[in-house]
Amino acid sequence: MSQAADWKRADSRIGILFIVPFAVTALVFMVYPVAEAVRLAFYHHNPLNPGASSFAGLDNFRALAADPLFWQAFRQAAVWTFSSIVLQTVIGVALALLLHLPLRGISVFRGLLLFPYIVPTVVIALILQWMLNADLGVVNWSLRGAGLIDENVYWLASPGMAMLSTIALNVWKYTPFVTICVLARLQTIPLELYDAAKVDGAGAVRRFVDITLPQLAEVLAVVVIFRTIWTFNKFEEIYLLTRGGPGTSTFNLAIYSFEQSVANLKMGMGAATGVVMMALLFVGSLIYMRVFRFDEEPTQ
Amino acid sequence: MAQKTPPVRPQPTTRRKFLSDLAAVSTGVAAGTLGLPAWAQKPSTKTGTVRVWGEPGPYAGVAVDAMNEWAKKFAPGLAFKLETLSWDSVYVKLMTDLAARNPAHCISVESPIAYQLMADLLLEPLDDVVQKVGRNRLIDGVKWEYWGAWQGKQYVLPAHHQPHLLVVRMDVVNELGLGDPDKWDWNDLRNAARTIAEKKKDMAGISLALGRNLCTDYHFAALLHSAGGRMFDPANKFQVVFDSPETVEALEYVKSLQPYMPRGAVSYSFLEVVDSIVTGRAGISFYWGRPYGRAAEENKAVFANLQSFNHARHPKTGRRSNWNDFQGWCIPRPNNQYVEEVKAALVYYQTSPQWLVRYCHSLMPNVSPVYKDVLNNPTLQTHPFFETKRQTIMNYYVTSLPYSSSTANEWLRGVNPLAGIVHGRSILAQTVQKVAVDNWKAADAAKWGAKELEQVRKENLRLLGGAV
Repeated sequence: MSQAADWKRADSRIGILFIVPFAVTALVFMVYPVAEAVRLAFYHHNPLNPGASSFAGLDNFRALAADPLFWQAFRQAAVWTFSSIVLQTVIGVALALLLHLPLRGISVFRGLLLFPYIVPTVVIALILQWMLNADLGVVNWSLRGAGLIDENVYWLASPGMAMLSTIALNVWKYTPFVTICVLARLQTIPLELYDAAKVDGAGAVRRFVDITLPQLAEVLAVVVIFRTIWTFNKFEEIYLLTRGGPGTSTFNLAIYSFEQSVANLKMGMGAATGVVMMALLFVGSLIYMRVFRFDEEPTQ
Repeated sequence: MAQKTPPVRPQPTTRRKFLSDLAAVSTGVAAGTLGLPAWAQKPSTKTGTVRVWGEPGPYAGVAVDAMNEWAKKFAPGLAFKLETLSWDSVYVKLMTDLAARNPAHCISVESPIAYQLMADLLLEPLDDVVQKVGRNRLIDGVKWEYWGAWQGKQYVLPAHHQPHLLVVRMDVVNELGLGDPDKWDWNDLRNAARTIAEKKKDMAGISLALGRNLCTDYHFAALLHSAGGRMFDPANKFQVVFDSPETVEALEYVKSLQPYMPRGAVSYSFLEVVDSIVTGRAGISFYWGRPYGRAAEENKAVFANLQSFNHARHPKTGRRSNWNDFQGWCIPRPNNQYVEEVKAALVYYQTSPQWLVRYCHSLMPNVSPVYKDVLNNPTLQTHPFFETKRQTIMNYYVTSLPYSSSTANEWLRGVNPLAGIVHGRSILAQTVQKVAVDNWKAADAAKWGAKELEQVRKENLRLLGGAV
């Protein structure tokens, strides 16, 4: 049968029709912005003076490499991402194991778990700002009342504590995502595996290490990779909570990009930062997949 | 025997009752006091919403009410709508909206941003409006250019002037025998801050903003200018003159005050400084008139004891520089279909002493009158704050003017269109934070700041026009 004849087949046309909305949406909202960001990265562009745009070659990337703040933001982004992901994964798995227990009313807790994930970031960040206010906040008030601290803790006003506070917000908000993914996988592990292990005399720890963890490996790989990408790119939590401060102690690359684009009116530099972030995440994801061999077909 | 009627005791007028009474009587009586020009009475058949940006506070709302009164009479299809922007987000909002070619139709901004916009030719010239409003009405000690004139054209119409001064808890100062704040120099100020911090439990000696924000920029600029330092030299092609002994001295002075500030000051902006004053957690501060209104409602004991003075003198230069916002109204050019209507509405409200008095009354003594007929208007002095805070009010309104300064017009010796960009990048605040948070030497921080300012200058030579 010729290609032209294939084209006329009704099911093909319907298939294409179904794909068109996604393709158009992807082109407009994903491909075009990314392409435009990549193009801008090679231009000097001031949004207030767009007529004076000029080709910059690699100037924007050279300027990034020469800017100590870029490297500081990069280091801090690495610390923020690594700490958040480790804590989210450990706490998320632990919570999933707890919620997997066959207890009466456990479904209520499973429902409540979604709460942090549902609350808009802007709401929780603004509430946290007040809760963590050193002088007026309820957190210091409670800790002082419980006799745990003598002096107020400056949660958002000292560089180390500010980084900890932003990490804590991220962990609180996104641990439920890890928990839900892990819980879903836990519920599909055949119980026979545990029964057999018990018969063989394996204790709870042994069963967790030899059965549960290997079964969770693939879902954890996906969760970790997604969470890493999302966390590394995170902007609003840090910006709303600390605006990158005090000083520049909680700057990450997303905040740096925003500052370059909006405060400094250097759209090219901001876009170049975005391109660097994209490249870093792409290469990082490839290495991660390769190291953990998730790109290979399972062998029988 | 006739029953004796108990004597009627006069009820004290509260600020809020005064404002609500005033609102009731002033609406609808505005036009005509100075004689509304025929030009402002020309009807418009346009329809839609005229977007107006204002900073937080009731005064922008009063101005928009006045504009809507004009619309009701002459352009019934139009509605002026206020969009309130917090100080720290003005720059971001402005730049993103301008970049998207969708700015508000009328904006109220401080002089640094206004100067930047006018030098970038993004504003509509307002000389015709000034002519109608009255060129000779300005109070003594100010000039039209303070709000925004560039290369012979006026781009900004005065909304108010607004200095930050030395706000002092007089009960604390008197109790500790710290002398007359009006006579303090920098050493006396530091000594007072130290004494308060040491002697008063749960009270900081002085509360300044040290965060990465506009408030820190404004606090530090006053100290820099008092010390005799500046960012740029407009008389010499806007060369950067920030890397100087004066900058180092101002930075070291901030560092020397830091032990007497709240520990959280490194993240303080406008709101936190006001909080520390109103809640009685600071003995001294640098601030505009805003805390008085809040203290009058929330903490009467603090309100009763607050007083504002011109800043402490620098021991060598004798300067008492403050930061004066010189806030004005301007009309963005891009995509603005309501230029004539906004001009007419501005003339309507700016030629009405009633509306202008009400504007000042809405947050006493935060927004100072700029026209003589408003300053001398008997109604202005009917505000209850005049009973107890007359000297403070007059300090904000009048006696501060000889010490006015800002980054956009340093020492009032030349308009500088680069200051808006400097604030957009928080360069002064970052310089302060290098010393206050990162513990850099002041000299190194001054060098860093100078390098950043030089970068701003290089990248924006076009704004300096014929000056370079």
